Amino acid sequence: MKNKDIFNFNRFGKYFVSDLKTCVANYGLTLLTTTLLLPIAIYVVRVALHAFAYSTWEGPEPGLRLFCFGMALIFIITQMPVKCYGKLTEKQYGSFWLTLPASRLEKFLSMLIMTCLIAPLTGTALFLGMDTLMCAIDPTCGECIIARSKNLFGLLTEMGNLKVNIGFGSIPIDDPEAYDRMLGILTSPWLYVDDIFGITLPFLLGAIYFKKNKIAKTFLALFAFSMAISFITAPLTMGLTPQKIFCSNFFRNMVLTDIISDTVLNIAMMAGVWFRIKTLKH
Amino acid sequence: MIAIRDLGFSYGEIPVLKNITMTLEEGRIYGLLGENGVGKTTLLTLLCGLKAAKAGSINTDGHNPFDRDPSFLSDQYYLSDEVAAMNMTALDYAKSYGHFWEKFDMDKFIEIMGIFENDPGKKMSKMSFGQLKKTYIAFALACNTRYLFMDEPTNGLDIPSKAQFRKAMTKYTREDSVILISTHQVRDLENIIDPIIILDRQDILLNASLEEISEKLYFDYSTVKIDNALYCEMIPGGNIQVTLNTESKDSKVNLEALFNTVHQHKELIKGIFSK
Repeated sequence: MKNKDIFNFNRFGKYFVSDLKTCVANYGLTLLTTTLLLPIAIYVVRVALHAFAYSTWEGPEPGLRLFCFGMALIFIITQMPVKCYGKLTEKQYGSFWLTLPASRLEKFLSMLIMTCLIAPLTGTALFLGMDTLMCAIDPTCGECIIARSKNLFGLLTEMGNLKVNIGFGSIPIDDPEAYDRMLGILTSPWLYVDDIFGITLPFLLGAIYFKKNKIAKTFLALFAFSMAISFITAPLTMGLTPQKIFCSNFFRNMVLTDIISDTVLNIAMMAGVWFRIKTLKH
Repeated sequence: MIAIRDLGFSYGEIPVLKNITMTLEEGRIYGLLGENGVGKTTLLTLLCGLKAAKAGSINTDGHNPFDRDPSFLSDQYYLSDEVAAMNMTALDYAKSYGHFWEKFDMDKFIEIMGIFENDPGKKMSKMSFGQLKKTYIAFALACNTRYLFMDEPTNGLDIPSKAQFRKAMTKYTREDSVILISTHQVRDLENIIDPIIILDRQDILLNASLEEISEKLYFDYSTVKIDNALYCEMIPGGNIQVTLNTESKDSKVNLEALFNTVHQHKELIKGIFSK
Protein backbone atom coordinates (compact mmCIF):
# COMPACT_ATOMS: atom_id res chain seq x y z
CA MET A 1 0.00 0.00 0.00
CA LYS A 2 1.30 3.44 -0.96
CA ASN A 3 1.49 6.28 1.60
CA LYS A 4 -1.02 8.20 -0.49
CA ASP A 5 -3.47 5.38 0.07
CA ILE A 6 -3.11 5.68 3.86
CA PHE A 7 -3.44 9.43 4.32
CA ASN A 8 -3.53 12.43 2.04
CA PHE A 9 -4.15 15.92 3.47
CA ASN A 10 -5.86 17.24 0.38
CA ARG A 11 -8.23 14.28 0.16
CA PHE A 12 -8.86 14.37 3.93
CA GLY A 13 -9.81 18.04 3.64
CA LYS A 14 -12.27 17.25 0.87
CA TYR A 15 -13.66 14.28 2.74
CA PHE A 16 -14.07 16.25 5.97
CA VAL A 17 -15.96 19.02 4.19
CA SER A 18 -18.32 16.53 2.51
CA ASP A 19 -18.78 14.72 5.85
CA LEU A 20 -19.60 18.04 7.50
CA LYS A 21 -22.12 18.87 4.76
CA THR A 22 -23.78 15.46 5.10
CA CYS A 23 -23.96 15.85 8.89
CA VAL A 24 -25.43 19.34 8.55
CA ALA A 25 -28.01 17.98 6.08
CA ASN A 26 -28.89 15.05 8.35
CA TYR A 27 -28.60 16.62 11.78
CA GLY A 28 -28.27 20.40 11.40
CA LEU A 29 -31.92 21.18 11.95
CA THR A 30 -32.20 18.92 15.02
CA LEU A 31 -29.07 20.54 16.48
CA LEU A 32 -30.46 24.02 15.95
CA THR A 33 -33.83 23.05 17.41
CA THR A 34 -32.24 21.48 20.47
CA THR A 35 -29.82 24.29 21.18
CA LEU A 36 -31.71 27.39 20.08
CA LEU A 37 -35.40 26.58 20.40
CA LEU A 38 -35.20 24.58 23.63
CA PRO A 39 -33.98 27.55 25.77
CA ILE A 40 -36.66 29.76 24.18
CA ALA A 41 -39.35 27.14 24.83
CA ILE A 42 -38.30 26.82 28.47
CA TYR A 43 -38.25 30.56 28.81
CA VAL A 44 -41.74 30.96 27.35
CA VAL A 45 -43.23 28.13 29.44
CA ARG A 46 -41.58 29.38 32.63
CA VAL A 47 -42.66 32.98 32.10
CA ALA A 48 -46.20 31.92 31.21
CA LEU A 49 -46.53 29.63 34.24
CA HIS A 50 -45.14 32.27 36.58
CA ALA A 51 -47.40 34.94 35.14
CA PHE A 52 -50.38 32.62 35.52
CA ALA A 53 -49.56 31.53 39.08
CA TYR A 54 -48.11 34.72 40.61
CA SER A 55 -48.99 37.43 38.10
CA THR A 56 -45.34 38.43 37.84
CA TRP A 57 -42.78 38.24 35.05
CA GLU A 58 -40.05 35.77 35.99
CA GLY A 59 -37.60 34.09 33.63
CA PRO A 60 -36.19 30.58 34.25
CA GLU A 61 -33.62 30.45 37.01
CA PRO A 62 -30.00 29.39 36.26
CA GLY A 63 -30.44 25.98 37.90
CA LEU A 64 -33.27 25.04 35.56
CA ARG A 65 -31.37 26.34 32.54
CA LEU A 66 -28.27 24.42 33.56
CA PHE A 67 -30.34 21.25 33.89
CA CYS A 68 -31.81 21.85 30.40
CA PHE A 69 -28.31 22.46 29.04
CA GLY A 70 -27.24 19.06 30.41
CA MET A 71 -30.30 17.40 28.89
CA ALA A 72 -29.65 19.07 25.52
CA LEU A 73 -26.04 17.90 25.56
CA ILE A 74 -27.08 14.33 26.36
CA PHE A 75 -29.60 14.49 23.50
CA ILE A 76 -26.95 15.78 21.08
CA ILE A 77 -24.32 13.25 22.13
CA THR A 78 -26.70 10.30 21.84
CA GLN A 79 -28.53 11.36 18.68
CA MET A 80 -25.82 12.84 16.49
CA PRO A 81 -23.78 9.66 15.75
CA VAL A 82 -26.96 7.76 14.85
CA LYS A 83 -28.21 10.50 12.51
CA CYS A 84 -24.83 11.05 10.85
CA TYR A 85 -23.25 7.59 10.82
CA GLY A 86 -26.01 5.17 11.79
CA LYS A 87 -26.86 4.58 8.14
CA LEU A 88 -23.50 2.89 7.57
CA THR A 89 -25.08 -0.36 8.71
CA GLU A 90 -27.75 -0.02 5.99
CA LYS A 91 -26.94 -1.45 2.59
CA GLN A 92 -28.03 1.64 0.61
CA TYR A 93 -25.83 4.19 2.31
CA GLY A 94 -23.19 1.83 3.69
CA SER A 95 -22.24 0.54 0.22
CA PHE A 96 -21.76 4.07 -1.02
CA TRP A 97 -19.77 5.16 2.03
CA LEU A 98 -17.44 2.16 1.94
CA THR A 99 -16.67 2.60 -1.76
CA LEU A 100 -16.17 6.37 -1.48
CA PRO A 101 -12.55 6.99 -2.49
CA ALA A 102 -11.05 8.09 0.82
CA SER A 103 -8.81 6.01 3.07
CA ARG A 104 -9.99 4.29 6.24
CA LEU A 105 -7.83 6.59 8.34
CA GLU A 106 -9.37 9.68 6.74
CA LYS A 107 -12.91 8.40 7.28
CA PHE A 108 -12.05 7.42 10.87
CA LEU A 109 -10.49 10.78 11.77
CA SER A 110 -13.32 12.73 10.23
CA MET A 111 -15.83 10.63 12.17
CA LEU A 112 -14.00 11.25 15.46
CA ILE A 113 -13.63 14.99 14.92
CA MET A 114 -17.28 15.34 13.98
CA THR A 115 -18.65 13.23 16.83
CA CYS A 116 -16.29 14.03 19.69
CA LEU A 117 -15.47 17.67 18.98
CA ILE A 118 -17.60 19.48 16.40
CA ALA A 119 -21.05 18.28 17.52
CA PRO A 120 -20.68 18.72 21.32
CA LEU A 121 -18.75 21.99 20.98
CA THR A 122 -21.19 23.47 18.46
CA GLY A 123 -24.12 22.38 20.63
CA THR A 124 -22.52 23.90 23.73
CA ALA A 125 -21.65 27.16 21.95
CA LEU A 126 -25.14 27.56 20.49
CA PHE A 127 -26.98 26.74 23.73
CA LEU A 128 -24.76 28.93 25.89
CA GLY A 129 -24.91 31.72 23.30
CA MET A 130 -28.69 31.65 23.33
CA ASP A 131 -28.68 31.49 27.14
CA THR A 132 -26.40 34.55 27.32
CA LEU A 133 -28.60 36.44 24.87
CA MET A 134 -31.72 35.56 26.82
CA CYS A 135 -30.17 36.72 30.11
CA ALA A 136 -29.00 39.96 28.48
CA ILE A 137 -32.51 40.70 27.18
CA ASP A 138 -34.40 39.64 30.32
CA PRO A 139 -32.57 40.34 33.63
CA THR A 140 -35.17 38.27 35.53
CA CYS A 141 -33.32 35.15 34.26
CA GLY A 142 -30.42 36.01 36.51
CA GLU A 143 -26.83 35.19 35.71
CA CYS A 144 -26.12 33.42 32.42
CA ILE A 145 -24.56 29.93 32.60
CA ILE A 146 -21.16 31.11 31.31
CA ALA A 147 -20.89 33.88 33.93
CA ARG A 148 -22.02 31.49 36.65
CA SER A 149 -19.40 28.88 35.73
CA LYS A 150 -16.73 31.55 35.53
CA ASN A 151 -17.66 32.83 38.98
CA LEU A 152 -17.62 29.29 40.35
CA PHE A 153 -14.10 28.67 39.07
CA GLY A 154 -13.06 32.11 40.34
CA LEU A 155 -14.37 31.31 43.80
CA LEU A 156 -12.57 27.98 43.74
CA THR A 157 -9.20 29.51 42.96
CA GLU A 158 -9.57 32.47 45.31
CA MET A 159 -10.67 30.50 48.34
CA GLY A 160 -8.13 30.11 51.12
CA ASN A 161 -9.51 26.78 52.12
CA LEU A 162 -11.90 24.32 50.63
CA LYS A 163 -14.80 22.33 51.96
CA VAL A 164 -15.75 19.27 50.04
CA ASN A 165 -19.47 18.64 50.17
CA ILE A 166 -20.21 14.95 50.16
CA GLY A 167 -23.92 14.93 50.82
CA PHE A 168 -24.04 14.05 54.50
CA GLY A 169 -21.61 16.75 55.58
CA SER A 170 -18.64 18.74 54.45
CA ILE A 171 -14.97 18.06 55.01
CA PRO A 172 -12.67 21.07 55.33
CA ILE A 173 -9.31 20.72 53.59
CA ASP A 174 -6.97 22.73 55.74
CA ASP A 175 -3.69 21.53 54.34
CA PRO A 176 -2.66 24.18 51.74
CA GLU A 177 -0.53 21.65 49.87
CA ALA A 178 -3.42 19.20 49.59
CA TYR A 179 -5.69 22.05 48.54
CA ASP A 180 -3.32 23.20 45.76
CA ARG A 181 -2.93 19.65 44.57
CA MET A 182 -6.69 19.16 44.45
CA LEU A 183 -7.21 22.46 42.67
CA GLY A 184 -4.58 21.53 40.12
CA ILE A 185 -6.33 18.26 39.48
CA LEU A 186 -9.80 19.77 39.21
CA THR A 187 -8.68 22.46 36.78
CA SER A 188 -6.64 20.12 34.58
CA PRO A 189 -8.12 20.26 31.07
CA TRP A 190 -7.27 16.62 30.36
CA LEU A 191 -9.73 15.55 33.09
CA TYR A 192 -12.51 17.03 30.93
CA VAL A 193 -11.13 16.31 27.45
CA ASP A 194 -10.96 12.57 28.01
CA ASP A 195 -14.44 12.73 29.53
CA ILE A 196 -15.83 14.32 26.33
CA PHE A 197 -14.34 11.47 24.31
CA GLY A 198 -15.45 8.95 26.93
CA ILE A 199 -19.07 10.12 26.74
CA THR A 200 -19.33 10.51 22.96
CA LEU A 201 -17.37 7.46 21.74
CA PRO A 202 -19.73 4.76 23.11
CA PHE A 203 -22.61 6.28 21.13
CA LEU A 204 -20.53 6.45 17.95
CA LEU A 205 -19.54 2.84 18.48
CA GLY A 206 -23.18 1.87 19.11
CA ALA A 207 -24.31 3.77 15.99
CA ILE A 208 -21.98 1.85 13.70
CA TYR A 209 -22.18 -1.58 15.40
CA PHE A 210 -25.87 -2.05 16.16
CA LYS A 211 -28.29 -2.33 13.28
CA LYS A 212 -31.45 -1.38 15.18
CA ASN A 213 -32.33 0.41 18.46
CA LYS A 214 -28.82 1.82 18.47
CA ILE A 215 -29.22 4.27 21.38
CA ALA A 216 -31.14 1.90 23.66
CA LYS A 217 -28.64 -0.91 23.05
CA THR A 218 -25.73 1.45 23.72
CA PHE A 219 -27.28 2.49 27.05
CA LEU A 220 -27.80 -1.16 27.94
CA ALA A 221 -24.23 -2.01 27.02
CA LEU A 222 -22.95 0.93 29.09
CA PHE A 223 -25.10 -0.15 32.02
CA ALA A 224 -23.78 -3.72 31.84
CA PHE A 225 -20.21 -2.48 31.54
CA SER A 226 -20.59 -0.08 34.50
CA MET A 227 -22.06 -2.85 36.65
CA ALA A 228 -19.15 -5.14 35.83
CA ILE A 229 -16.59 -2.41 36.60
CA SER A 230 -18.36 -1.55 39.87
CA PHE A 231 -18.18 -5.17 41.01
CA ILE A 232 -14.45 -5.19 40.32
CA THR A 233 -13.60 -1.80 41.86
CA ALA A 234 -15.97 -1.77 44.86
CA PRO A 235 -13.74 -3.98 47.07
CA LEU A 236 -10.81 -1.63 46.46
CA THR A 237 -12.62 1.35 48.02
CA MET A 238 -14.03 -0.47 51.04
CA GLY A 239 -12.96 0.89 54.41
CA LEU A 240 -12.02 4.31 53.08
CA THR A 241 -13.32 7.32 55.01
CA PRO A 242 -14.08 10.58 53.14
CA GLN A 243 -11.36 12.27 55.20
CA LYS A 244 -8.85 9.73 53.97
CA ILE A 245 -10.00 10.14 50.36
CA PHE A 246 -9.78 13.93 50.18
CA CYS A 247 -6.86 14.73 52.47
CA SER A 248 -4.19 12.33 51.33
CA ASN A 249 -2.52 11.21 48.16
CA PHE A 250 -5.46 8.89 47.61
CA PHE A 251 -7.49 11.60 45.86
CA ARG A 252 -4.61 12.42 43.52
CA ASN A 253 -4.10 8.75 42.75
CA MET A 254 -7.82 8.25 42.27
CA VAL A 255 -7.98 11.07 39.71
CA LEU A 256 -4.84 9.79 38.03
CA THR A 257 -6.36 6.30 37.84
CA ASP A 258 -9.53 7.85 36.42
CA ILE A 259 -7.58 9.69 33.73
CA ILE A 260 -5.52 6.62 32.82
CA SER A 261 -8.51 4.26 32.78
CA ASP A 262 -10.56 6.76 30.74
CA THR A 263 -7.71 7.16 28.27
CA VAL A 264 -7.30 3.38 27.95
CA LEU A 265 -11.05 2.97 27.46
CA ASN A 266 -11.13 5.76 24.88
CA ILE A 267 -8.29 4.14 22.97
CA ALA A 268 -10.12 0.80 23.13
CA MET A 269 -13.33 2.41 21.82
CA MET A 270 -11.41 4.17 19.03
CA ALA A 271 -9.89 0.81 18.14
CA GLY A 272 -13.43 -0.58 18.05
CA VAL A 273 -14.53 2.16 15.64
CA TRP A 274 -11.46 1.56 13.48
CA PHE A 275 -12.01 -2.20 13.45
CA ARG A 276 -15.67 -1.72 12.49
CA ILE A 277 -14.74 0.58 9.58
CA LYS A 278 -12.11 -1.93 8.47
CA THR A 279 -14.33 -4.97 8.58
CA LEU A 280 -17.74 -3.53 7.67
CA LYS A 281 -19.23 -5.45 4.74
CA HIS A 282 -22.38 -5.15 2.69
CA MET B 1 -8.29 -6.21 -16.15
CA ILE B 2 -9.87 -8.18 -13.34
CA ALA B 3 -8.46 -11.63 -12.69
CA ILE B 4 -10.59 -13.88 -10.52
CA ARG B 5 -8.96 -17.12 -9.35
CA ASP B 6 -10.73 -19.94 -7.49
CA LEU B 7 -13.01 -17.45 -5.79
CA GLY B 8 -15.13 -18.82 -2.99
CA PHE B 9 -17.69 -17.18 -0.74
CA SER B 10 -20.28 -18.40 1.74
CA TYR B 11 -22.81 -16.91 4.12
CA GLY B 12 -22.01 -18.84 7.27
CA GLU B 13 -22.25 -22.50 6.34
CA ILE B 14 -24.13 -21.85 3.09
CA PRO B 15 -21.77 -21.71 0.11
CA VAL B 16 -22.69 -19.20 -2.59
CA LEU B 17 -19.68 -19.12 -4.90
CA LYS B 18 -17.16 -21.90 -5.32
CA ASN B 19 -13.99 -22.06 -7.42
CA ILE B 20 -14.99 -19.22 -9.71
CA THR B 21 -12.21 -18.47 -12.18
CA MET B 22 -12.52 -15.92 -14.95
CA THR B 23 -11.00 -12.79 -16.42
CA LEU B 24 -12.88 -9.59 -17.14
CA GLU B 25 -11.25 -7.58 -19.90
CA GLU B 26 -11.23 -3.92 -20.89
CA GLY B 27 -13.66 -2.51 -23.42
CA ARG B 28 -16.48 -4.92 -22.62
CA ILE B 29 -19.87 -4.61 -21.00
CA TYR B 30 -20.46 -7.94 -19.28
CA GLY B 31 -24.00 -9.05 -18.59
CA LEU B 32 -24.28 -11.09 -15.40
CA LEU B 33 -27.37 -13.27 -15.48
CA GLY B 34 -28.69 -15.85 -13.06
CA GLU B 35 -31.68 -16.95 -11.06
CA ASN B 36 -32.52 -15.33 -7.72
CA GLY B 37 -30.04 -16.19 -5.00
CA VAL B 38 -27.26 -17.62 -7.15
CA GLY B 39 -24.81 -14.95 -6.02
CA LYS B 40 -24.86 -12.21 -8.66
CA THR B 41 -24.94 -9.39 -6.12
CA THR B 42 -22.41 -11.26 -3.97
CA LEU B 43 -20.01 -11.45 -6.91
CA LEU B 44 -20.44 -7.74 -7.65
CA THR B 45 -19.89 -6.78 -4.02
CA LEU B 46 -16.77 -8.95 -3.89
CA LEU B 47 -15.42 -7.25 -7.00
CA CYS B 48 -15.95 -3.75 -5.64
CA GLY B 49 -14.56 -4.50 -2.16
CA LEU B 50 -17.74 -4.54 -0.13
CA LYS B 51 -17.12 -8.14 0.88
CA ALA B 52 -13.98 -10.17 1.52
CA ALA B 53 -13.39 -13.38 -0.43
CA LYS B 54 -13.42 -16.48 1.76
CA ALA B 55 -11.24 -18.39 -0.71
CA GLY B 56 -9.25 -17.59 -3.82
CA SER B 57 -8.38 -14.12 -5.00
CA ILE B 58 -9.50 -11.11 -7.00
CA ASN B 59 -6.83 -9.02 -8.62
CA THR B 60 -7.90 -5.70 -10.08
CA ASP B 61 -4.83 -4.07 -11.60
CA GLY B 62 -2.73 -5.30 -8.68
CA HIS B 63 -5.26 -4.35 -6.01
CA ASN B 64 -7.19 -6.62 -3.70
CA PRO B 65 -10.61 -4.89 -3.74
CA PHE B 66 -11.31 -5.52 -0.04
CA ASP B 67 -8.26 -3.40 0.90
CA ARG B 68 -10.38 -0.49 -0.36
CA ASP B 69 -7.35 1.60 -1.27
CA PRO B 70 -8.44 5.07 -2.37
CA SER B 71 -6.39 4.76 -5.60
CA PHE B 72 -8.44 1.66 -6.44
CA LEU B 73 -11.76 3.09 -5.27
CA SER B 74 -11.31 6.26 -7.32
CA ASP B 75 -11.20 4.17 -10.49
CA GLN B 76 -14.32 2.13 -9.82
CA TYR B 77 -17.97 2.75 -9.08
CA TYR B 78 -20.52 0.37 -7.65
CA LEU B 79 -24.18 1.11 -8.22
CA SER B 80 -26.21 -0.88 -5.72
CA ASP B 81 -29.71 -2.13 -6.51
CA GLU B 82 -30.93 -0.22 -3.45
CA VAL B 83 -29.90 3.42 -3.47
CA ALA B 84 -29.88 5.93 -0.62
CA ALA B 85 -32.20 8.94 -0.66
CA MET B 86 -29.74 11.54 0.59
CA ASN B 87 -31.03 14.65 2.28
CA MET B 88 -29.69 17.01 -0.40
CA THR B 89 -30.31 17.96 -4.03
CA ALA B 90 -28.84 15.80 -6.79
CA LEU B 91 -26.61 18.71 -7.80
CA ASP B 92 -25.32 19.22 -4.26
CA TYR B 93 -24.69 15.50 -4.05
CA ALA B 94 -22.65 15.57 -7.26
CA LYS B 95 -20.75 18.65 -6.03
CA SER B 96 -20.08 17.14 -2.60
CA TYR B 97 -18.95 13.70 -3.70
CA GLY B 98 -18.04 13.89 -7.40
CA HIS B 99 -14.56 15.28 -6.79
CA PHE B 100 -13.51 12.07 -5.02
CA TRP B 101 -13.41 10.41 -8.43
CA GLU B 102 -10.49 11.93 -10.31
CA LYS B 103 -12.21 11.93 -13.69
CA PHE B 104 -15.65 13.02 -12.52
CA ASP B 105 -17.28 15.29 -15.09
CA MET B 106 -19.99 17.62 -13.77
CA ASP B 107 -21.12 18.67 -17.25
CA LYS B 108 -21.59 15.04 -18.15
CA PHE B 109 -23.64 14.50 -14.99
CA ILE B 110 -25.95 17.37 -15.86
CA GLU B 111 -26.16 16.19 -19.48
CA ILE B 112 -27.15 12.65 -18.48
CA MET B 113 -29.64 14.01 -15.95
CA GLY B 114 -31.07 15.94 -18.92
CA ILE B 115 -31.32 12.77 -21.01
CA PHE B 116 -33.18 11.14 -18.13
CA GLU B 117 -35.42 14.23 -17.82
CA ASN B 118 -34.40 14.40 -14.16
CA ASP B 119 -34.17 17.69 -12.29
CA PRO B 120 -30.70 18.07 -10.68
CA GLY B 121 -32.09 20.75 -8.35
CA LYS B 122 -34.60 18.37 -6.77
CA LYS B 123 -33.95 16.98 -3.28
CA MET B 124 -33.01 13.30 -3.49
CA SER B 125 -35.18 12.48 -0.49
CA LYS B 126 -38.19 13.82 -2.43
CA MET B 127 -37.47 11.79 -5.58
CA SER B 128 -39.34 8.66 -6.62
CA PHE B 129 -37.34 5.42 -6.67
CA GLY B 130 -36.97 5.63 -10.46
CA GLN B 131 -35.77 9.24 -10.34
CA LEU B 132 -33.32 8.37 -7.60
CA LYS B 133 -32.01 5.43 -9.59
CA LYS B 134 -31.53 7.65 -12.65
CA THR B 135 -29.64 10.19 -10.53
CA TYR B 136 -27.26 7.49 -9.36
CA ILE B 137 -26.86 6.11 -12.89
CA ALA B 138 -25.99 9.62 -14.11
CA PHE B 139 -23.52 9.99 -11.26
CA ALA B 140 -21.97 6.58 -11.95
CA LEU B 141 -21.45 7.37 -15.62
CA ALA B 142 -20.14 10.88 -14.87
CA CYS B 143 -17.45 9.35 -12.62
CA ASN B 144 -15.73 8.06 -15.80
CA THR B 145 -14.24 5.13 -13.94
CA ARG B 146 -12.38 2.24 -15.48
CA TYR B 147 -14.45 -0.29 -13.54
CA LEU B 148 -18.19 0.05 -13.28
CA PHE B 149 -20.38 -2.45 -11.46
CA MET B 150 -24.14 -2.11 -11.71
CA ASP B 151 -26.62 -4.24 -9.83
CA GLU B 152 -30.05 -4.34 -11.50
CA PRO B 153 -29.72 -0.80 -12.89
CA THR B 154 -33.01 -0.89 -14.82
CA ASN B 155 -35.12 -2.00 -11.83
CA GLY B 156 -37.61 0.73 -11.08
CA LEU B 157 -37.11 2.54 -14.40
CA ASP B 158 -40.14 3.24 -16.59
CA ILE B 159 -40.17 2.24 -20.29
CA PRO B 160 -38.78 5.52 -21.72
CA SER B 161 -36.09 5.56 -19.03
CA LYS B 162 -34.91 2.10 -20.03
CA ALA B 163 -34.30 3.36 -23.57
CA GLN B 164 -32.57 6.45 -22.14
CA PHE B 165 -30.43 4.18 -20.01
CA ARG B 166 -29.31 2.17 -23.05
CA LYS B 167 -28.51 5.41 -24.86
CA ALA B 168 -26.50 6.75 -21.95
CA MET B 169 -24.62 3.48 -21.55
CA THR B 170 -23.49 3.41 -25.17
CA LYS B 171 -22.68 7.11 -25.34
CA TYR B 172 -21.05 7.85 -21.99
CA THR B 173 -18.91 4.85 -21.07
CA ARG B 174 -15.15 4.77 -21.56
CA GLU B 175 -13.66 2.68 -24.35
CA ASP B 176 -11.22 1.00 -21.98
CA SER B 177 -13.64 0.35 -19.14
CA VAL B 178 -14.74 -2.96 -17.69
CA ILE B 179 -18.46 -2.86 -17.01
CA LEU B 180 -20.35 -5.60 -15.25
CA ILE B 181 -24.13 -5.38 -15.11
CA SER B 182 -26.23 -7.87 -13.23
CA THR B 183 -29.83 -8.09 -14.34
CA HIS B 184 -33.01 -10.10 -14.51
CA GLN B 185 -34.42 -7.80 -17.16
CA VAL B 186 -32.41 -9.19 -20.08
CA ARG B 187 -34.59 -7.46 -22.67
CA ASP B 188 -33.66 -4.07 -21.21
CA LEU B 189 -30.02 -4.67 -21.96
CA GLU B 190 -30.16 -7.00 -24.96
CA ASN B 191 -28.28 -4.71 -27.31
CA ILE B 192 -25.73 -3.49 -24.82
CA ILE B 193 -24.27 -6.46 -22.98
CA ASP B 194 -21.63 -8.63 -24.55
CA PRO B 195 -20.18 -11.03 -23.28
CA ILE B 196 -22.76 -12.89 -21.24
CA ILE B 197 -21.98 -14.56 -17.91
CA ILE B 198 -24.59 -16.96 -16.55
CA LEU B 199 -24.18 -17.90 -12.91
CA ASP B 200 -25.68 -20.99 -11.37
CA ARG B 201 -25.49 -22.29 -7.80
CA GLN B 202 -21.83 -21.75 -6.89
CA ASP B 203 -20.72 -22.07 -10.48
CA ILE B 204 -20.43 -20.29 -13.83
CA LEU B 205 -22.47 -22.00 -16.52
CA LEU B 206 -21.50 -19.74 -19.37
CA ASN B 207 -19.00 -16.96 -20.00
CA ALA B 208 -18.94 -16.18 -23.69
CA SER B 209 -19.29 -13.35 -26.16
CA LEU B 210 -22.39 -13.07 -28.36
CA GLU B 211 -20.21 -14.00 -31.33
CA GLU B 212 -19.09 -17.22 -29.64
CA ILE B 213 -22.66 -17.98 -28.62
CA SER B 214 -24.02 -17.55 -32.14
CA GLU B 215 -21.18 -19.67 -33.47
CA LYS B 216 -22.16 -22.56 -31.24
CA LEU B 217 -25.91 -22.13 -30.88
CA TYR B 218 -28.53 -21.37 -33.50
CA PHE B 219 -31.60 -19.30 -32.66
CA ASP B 220 -34.47 -20.14 -34.97
CA TYR B 221 -37.50 -17.85 -35.19
CA SER B 222 -39.52 -19.78 -37.81
CA THR B 223 -42.91 -21.45 -37.45
CA VAL B 224 -41.49 -24.89 -38.32
CA LYS B 225 -40.91 -27.09 -35.34
CA ILE B 226 -37.38 -28.51 -35.01
CA ASP B 227 -37.23 -32.01 -33.54
CA ASN B 228 -33.85 -31.86 -31.86
CA ALA B 229 -34.22 -28.31 -30.45
CA LEU B 230 -32.55 -27.77 -27.11
CA TYR B 231 -35.19 -25.22 -26.20
CA CYS B 232 -38.50 -24.22 -27.73
CA GLU B 233 -40.85 -21.45 -26.74
CA MET B 234 -43.99 -20.34 -28.52
CA ILE B 235 -44.19 -16.63 -29.25
CA PRO B 236 -46.80 -14.69 -31.20
CA GLY B 237 -46.24 -15.51 -34.87
CA GLY B 238 -43.99 -18.53 -34.35
CA ASN B 239 -41.42 -20.06 -32.03
CA ILE B 240 -38.02 -19.36 -30.62
CA GLN B 241 -36.02 -22.53 -30.88
CA VAL B 242 -32.43 -23.05 -29.89
CA THR B 243 -30.35 -25.78 -31.50
CA LEU B 244 -26.69 -26.60 -31.78
CA ASN B 245 -25.23 -24.60 -34.67
CA THR B 246 -23.77 -27.48 -36.63
CA GLU B 247 -24.13 -25.72 -39.98
CA SER B 248 -22.44 -22.44 -38.94
CA LYS B 249 -25.53 -20.39 -39.69
CA ASP B 250 -25.93 -16.80 -38.52
CA SER B 251 -28.67 -15.94 -36.04
CA LYS B 252 -29.55 -13.26 -33.53
CA VAL B 253 -29.03 -14.35 -29.94
CA ASN B 254 -32.15 -14.12 -27.82
CA LEU B 255 -30.97 -13.73 -24.25
CA GLU B 256 -34.08 -15.13 -22.58
CA ALA B 257 -34.01 -18.21 -24.79
CA LEU B 258 -30.28 -18.54 -24.20
CA PHE B 259 -30.75 -18.32 -20.43
CA ASN B 260 -33.46 -21.00 -20.44
CA THR B 261 -31.44 -23.26 -22.76
CA VAL B 262 -28.40 -23.01 -20.51
CA HIS B 263 -30.49 -23.87 -17.47
CA GLN B 264 -32.11 -26.87 -19.10
CA HIS B 265 -28.85 -28.29 -20.48
CA LYS B 266 -26.22 -27.22 -17.96
CA GLU B 267 -23.61 -29.89 -18.55
CA LEU B 268 -24.05 -29.89 -22.34
CA ILE B 269 -23.61 -26.12 -22.58
CA LYS B 270 -20.63 -26.12 -20.20
CA GLY B 271 -19.06 -28.82 -22.32
CA ILE B 272 -19.65 -26.96 -25.60
CA PHE B 273 -18.29 -23.65 -24.36
CA SER B 274 -15.31 -25.02 -22.45
CA LYS B 275 -13.81 -26.36 -25.68
